[in-house]
This record gives sequence, structure tokens and C-alpha cells, in this order.
Amino acid sequence: MRYLKLGTAGMRGVVGNGIDPLRVIDYAAAFGTFVDGGTVVVGRDSRESSLMIYHAVVAALINCGCRVIDAGIIPAPVLHFMTEELNADGALLIGAGHQGAGWNAVIPLNCNGSYMNSAMLQELLDVYHSRQYRQAAWNELGQAVLPEIKPVEQYLELIAANIDIELIRQKNYRVITDFCNGSGAFMAEQFSSLLGIKMIPINNLDSGVLPHSPEPRPRSAAQVQSIMAPLTADVGFVFNSDMSRCSVVTDSGETLSEEYTFPLVADYMLEREVDNRRIVSNICTTRTLDKIVQRHGGTLCKTRVGQALLIDKMLEVDALLAGDGSGSTAFRKGVNGFDSFMQMAVILEAMARKNMSSTELAANLPRYHAVKLTLPCRSERAYKLLKNLRNYFPDAKVTEIDGVSFEWDNGWISLRAATTEPVIRMISEWTTHDEALDRAMRMRGLLERLE
Amino acid sequence: MINYKQNLKIGVSGVRGIVGESFSPTLIAAFAASFGRYVGAGRVIVGRDTRSSGAMIEHAVVAGLIAVGCQPVLVGIMPTPTIQIAVVEHNACGGIAITASHNPEQWNALKFIGGSGFFLNNVEAAELLDIYNQADVEFAPEEDYRGIRRLTDAFETHKNKIFAQVNVEAIKKCHFRVAVDCCNGVGALLSRDFLEQLGCTVFTVHDALDRGFERPPEPLQENLSKLAAIVKQHECVLGFAQDPDGDRLAMVDSCGQAIGEQYTLLLAVDHILAEMPGDVVVNIQTTKAVEDIATSYGCEVHYAKVGEINVTEKLLEQGAEIGGEGNCGGVIWSRVHPCRDSYVTMTLMLEMMAESGQSFDEIVASMPRYVIRSLKFPCNPAQAVNIVNFLNEKYSRERICRLDGIRIDFRDYWVLVRQSNTEPVMRLTIEAVSVSLVEHVVSEFSALIMDLTKE
Repeated sequence: MRYLKLGTAGMRGVVGNGIDPLRVIDYAAAFGTFVDGGTVVVGRDSRESSLMIYHAVVAALINCGCRVIDAGIIPAPVLHFMTEELNADGALLIGAGHQGAGWNAVIPLNCNGSYMNSAMLQELLDVYHSRQYRQAAWNELGQAVLPEIKPVEQYLELIAANIDIELIRQKNYRVITDFCNGSGAFMAEQFSSLLGIKMIPINNLDSGVLPHSPEPRPRSAAQVQSIMAPLTADVGFVFNSDMSRCSVVTDSGETLSEEYTFPLVADYMLEREVDNRRIVSNICTTRTLDKIVQRHGGTLCKTRVGQALLIDKMLEVDALLAGDGSGSTAFRKGVNGFDSFMQMAVILEAMARKNMSSTELAANLPRYHAVKLTLPCRSERAYKLLKNLRNYFPDAKVTEIDGVSFEWDNGWISLRAATTEPVIRMISEWTTHDEALDRAMRMRGLLERLE
Repeated sequence: MINYKQNLKIGVSGVRGIVGESFSPTLIAAFAASFGRYVGAGRVIVGRDTRSSGAMIEHAVVAGLIAVGCQPVLVGIMPTPTIQIAVVEHNACGGIAITASHNPEQWNALKFIGGSGFFLNNVEAAELLDIYNQADVEFAPEEDYRGIRRLTDAFETHKNKIFAQVNVEAIKKCHFRVAVDCCNGVGALLSRDFLEQLGCTVFTVHDALDRGFERPPEPLQENLSKLAAIVKQHECVLGFAQDPDGDRLAMVDSCGQAIGEQYTLLLAVDHILAEMPGDVVVNIQTTKAVEDIATSYGCEVHYAKVGEINVTEKLLEQGAEIGGEGNCGGVIWSRVHPCRDSYVTMTLMLEMMAESGQSFDEIVASMPRYVIRSLKFPCNPAQAVNIVNFLNEKYSRERICRLDGIRIDFRDYWVLVRQSNTEPVMRLTIEAVSVSLVEHVVSEFSALIMDLTKE
């Protein structure tokens, strides 16, 4: 399949058929032009194709006269952190996060380390399409250098400042982690020694090959789930390849839907932080979150889907957290991006402070059941299809912040064209799984008829 | 006349251009990808000289190679002959040398090496260009990627191959005092250590890796003043002048006087033939003195077109052991590898002194002496053909060689008229037995060419 998408999540596509060195060079040259030959941090995940993209990116940036800080293989949260810490003019994050093998992406980051907002992306794409890039003279080319700081150590200090480490240490937790052979594996040891936990990492090789789908959904958690009981682990985590997302496996062996990661974190953080009760999420996050925020008397602010929008809103309204149903949370006092090391640390602190097992923590969540479907559909058809759909359900409350969503008393369905792939994403959530599934299937049938 | 900026050259000698103008990362990555497609998905050795743009180009080359399923094997800053040898030693599909050799520093180039460790010839280069000229390069899916390897001992292998072919013990015993001008090129990294292992006391100039070239890379007398000074100051037997990528060599004698690049090949030929008489292959811009020496050993000289690959191919065809390009100080000794190699050349010079017991100055003095002059005239391709045809007819009774332009050998002098591969000019080269004769012939042929190019 040939696929390339230029949008809010950067340049993304199928390696060799959409993503190739020539396109990447153009995109990075546009970015080097956009930052006017300034300092750019470049970090990547461990995929084989990320190395190719890294070399193309560095060639283009140096040729623009940029100073490149080579962060090497690094988790996304650490790149968010060091971009701001080093006062860089921007960063490029190489890696397709939750997307499967054969895909890759180049994601431009702002000088504060966050995803670029749509106005900036528009400017970047204007440069890209103009093909008029900054060009340094032969004796003024940029250079690639190693960072002068120790990014991982300093990032861990930031975690330490926000987490009650002593409390966690006393518990001697046994934690199973699945890094999906991604960039998180490189920090596993440092992280566990900081928190004094006994970590049992799996899929922690730098082979560049993904052992399973990197999307942290229950089906990706089978390996962790199967060893929870034999190893008497207290909690398990399944990460994507760049540590932006995770899902939780409880000590009783239940894999929680990734939808529950953010509510779980929010439930504890709202209890801990009494002076900030503002939470940011997007329009297709589980109702569990609405209930949790209500329970703590907080306010919930909803945006369209996209990491940049969530982070921007979090900074704008000075919210405690921003997160979504993909298993991600950003912390106001942390880095300007989704951070799964921090999610893991907070969940461990919640267990320790409340003296509860992970199963007990999860039992505290009001449960809804979500069914997620992806329906192949080219973006040019998808937008029209979704517009036509809104008149079919007169009994529902319809919102069109992003795609279209229908709300009923006991459940809701959201449909939107994905920004990263040529698919329509559907989420159907009801109080029972059967009903969620039934509604989703009926909706799919309707869409297929309409097409 | 069309006015164009000629700063990108895509041709037989690879692709070269000015960094910051025509030599863009996109062009480089596309060429590397086309080369990867051409040689097939396998190992490709990648090395570079010390030019400041080398790192940028290496990144682009690596990206292009990985993306078509090749495995780049990076040797870092290395001489071009070392890269050629590494291709053979590591069974690679090919190699890319990132160097513009003697061109000024703002230039850089990709030189393509085939699986036998030789530069691509005319036919192969045309095939590669054909692939490049297709609108779309085919890229490989991620599952076909092979990552990157690094090779740290490429020069070690090269050196061992040289040492295996010469009398290292004899050289070591002489404890020669030598000076090297590395032109801030690859020699800055390797030459001191290399010569010290041959028992030499070594003095270096222009030996920084990161300061740019500091002298024009052409080894003319006026560019070698620092080398001359250090040779005299430390009483060295001779001084070596390398080019930035370590394939060519010029020399100065113990008085700091440049002996001329033609003598580099001449001395090497004399030394090899003395031990093992055989055929010699040189390009047509090489001094007649080589023929004189060869004749004295009863050996034959074969001529090839200008360009390393042309000489190499002829050398293999004739089964010759020694040859090269006189005009640029390029010595090819097939016992190590049939490519121009300044490290081989330096070693042969030291061995020659060690075995003959003569000083460098004495050896140079014993060589036949010719005077050589080179000039160029602005000239379009149509006029160039015209001039060559005219001369061909006019001197039809002389000994004529039409391999590359026209070379006419008279009794006491020869004349070479050929169109440049790189500029819209005609090059006139004349070699004669005396200064007065050279001046006379130069004025005669200059007048002839001026007359024929008059609009």
C-alpha cells in the first residue's frame, strides 16, 4: 500500500512507499527553514527505518545550517523534556509510536517540546510545498553534536520531584513492563532503581523489530497478562514504541482497556492535588473520565482529537492534566507531551499511598464498555460520509467538534477520519459490552450502505 | 553562447558539485539510492575525505543506501584506495568514496566503486545514470532493511597488504628522515603512523583534520613551501605531498625542490621493472621518460585514456603489474590493488632507496629529463573536433595516438591536444628534451590553435 500523510502528526506513512529519504529530506529542510537554521534536537525510536530517517533528517538540517543535537534513541517524553531544557528552536521526533511495523513518521516539535499547533504546521507545510529551503554556504554547514546535558538523568530528576519516591520504595513492588522493543527499554533500569521497584521487563531488545502491534490495547497485553500470576507481580504495563501511551494489567490478571489509563491517573491526581482540578481531554474519551472528574468536583474541558490541541489547552487553562483514550496523559508539572513513565510512577504512587492493589484501584473506576472499530476509507470520501451521517439519528445529541459524535443517555458513538491513516475510527461506548458492540455493528452496516 | 553555471558535473568520474549550490542532500540521497539499486541489496563501503561537507554528504548517502535495502559499512575518514580495497576484502557489492580529490574545498563528489574495487567504467556509469534518470527510485519496505555497520580497521588491512609486498625490514634498517604534507586530508590521520611503522622519523605539515585545506590541493612548487621548509630544517631525505584523499603523490627532494608529479610514476616504474621486468600501462598524458626507462629494461609501454579506471582496465587487460597517471602523480601497483595509492607509492620510494643504497636526490638525477608544459584555450566542442581532425591530417606521417584527443610523438618532443572533461576548454600539453624546444613548440601549436578557434 502506498501511503503518506502530512498533518498534525507530522509526516507519516509506509516506509518505502510514501516515506522515503527524498521526502524526508524535503520535510526536514522545510523544518530547518522554519526554524531559520537554529538548533534542532533529533530523537528516534528503535525501528530499523528510524535510522534511515535519522540520517536523512540530519543531512537536510545540516545543509540548512542548523545545529543538530543528536539525542539518539530516546523516549518521546525525554525528547519533549530536553527540547525545552536545551532552549532549542525545535525538535524532530522520529518514530511511529503506536503504528505497526513498516510505518514511520517524522513529528515536528515546538521549542517548548510540545507538538506543533495547526497554525505552525500550516506555516511549515507552506515552506514544504514551496520547496524554497534555507541553504547554508559550503563553509557554513551545520554540525551534529551530542547533548551537553544528561537528558535521561535530568528527566528522571523531574519525575523524582513530582513523585513520592520514598513511599513507593517501601513497598518493594514487582512490576512487569512490555516495552515493545521500543525506546523505553533503554531507561528501564534507571527508572526502576529510582523508584526502588523490582522491574521485570519483556520485549526490551534494541532489535529494531516490533514483537507485536505497538498499540497498547488488551490484545497486545497477552504476554504480560500470562506471566502476572506466575511471577506474582503487583502490576503490569504495556507501552507503545515511544513511551507516549500505555495500558495497565492488574495483579488479578485483568488487562484494563487503554481507555482507563487516563481516568486511573486522573482519579488519583485529583485526589492528591487539591488546588488544581482542571482536566483536559478530547471529545472521544470514555465517560468514565466524566464521572471521575464529577466525583472530585473538577472541571473537564474537551477539545478535538490531537496531542497538540490537548497540550495547548492544558497550558492555556493551566490544567492539572491532559489526556485521552489512547492511554496517554500529559502532566502540567511534567513535560509538554504525553508521558508514560510518569503515568507508571503515578499509578505506583496511588497504590502505595492508598495502600491498594492495582485490582482494587481499577475496581474504583465506574466502568463503561467501549468497542473501537477502524473502517478503511480514504480521507477525501470520509469527510463527506460523516457529514451525511448526522441526520440519521434524530434522537441523539449531535456534536461536530471533531468528526461527528452522537450521545444517548446510556452511551455514545464517535466517528472521525483518522489523522494518521486512511481510516474512519469509530468508538462506541455503553454500559454493557453487548450493547456497545451491537451499536457499533449497526453503525458499520449503515456506513457501508451509505458508501 | 549559452551562459550557464557549470558547478554540477554528472559523469564517468561520478557526480560532483559545489556544496551549498548544486550538491544538495536530495541529489546525493537519490544518487546513493540509484547506486544501491544498481549494485544490488548488500554491503556498500562508505568513506570520505576531510572536507567539512563530508559529514552532511555521508548522512545523505547512508539514508539513500538503507532505503533501498543496502547495508552501509562506514569506514569514516579514509583514503580512496583504502575504500577500494575494503570493497574487495569485505565482499561488498560496491563502495562510495565521498571526495572531490584535488578540487577546491567547496567542491565535493561521490565516486562510485564496483564490486571488484574499481571505479565504474564508461558503460557501468552510463547504466547507473540510466537508473538515476528514471523519474522514480524504487525504495524497499522496512522489512528489507539491514541497518548499518562500522569498520574501524580498514586502513590496517590496507597497510598489511602493502607491507606483505615490500621489504619492510630493509626499509626499517635505514631509519629514513622524511617529511609529509598531508594537505589536511586523510593523511593527517594515518601517514605519520604508517611511516613510523616503516622505521622513519616523520615530520608533518598541514596535518590537521578540521581546519580546511589551508593550501591549494594541487601539489605545485608554490603550494609546497611549508613542506620545502620542513624538509630543509630537519634534513630529511625527501618530502611527500599527498592530496586530500590519499590516492596521488608528489615529492620534493632534500633541497625542498618539487621534482614534478611526472617523476612520481617514473621512479615507481623504474623500481618495479628493475626487480621484475614486464609491461607498463600509463595514460597518454604521461612523460616519455617512462618509455625510455621501460625500453632500457626491454619492456613495452601501453597507453590508456586519461582517468584511473581507463588505466586500471588496460593494466588488467595487458596483465601489467605497474602503471599509472603521470600527469597527476598517480601510481598503480596491481600487487596491492589496481588503483592509485599514495601509501603504496611512498613505500616503493623508501624501498627503492633502501635497496639501491642511493639517496633520493641521486636517484632523481639519474632519471631521463624532459621539460613539460600545459596550457588551456577556451574552445567549444565543435571547434575541438575540428582542431583534432586538422592535426590528425597535418601530422599523418608522425606517430599518432587517438585514444583521447590526439597525441603526436615527434623525435624530441610530443604534443597532446584534448578536450577537458570538466571545462569548455582545450588542453595543450607539450613535452620536449629542452626548455628552448618546449618554448618553440608551445608557440607553434598555440598559434595554430588560436588560428583555428578564431570566429
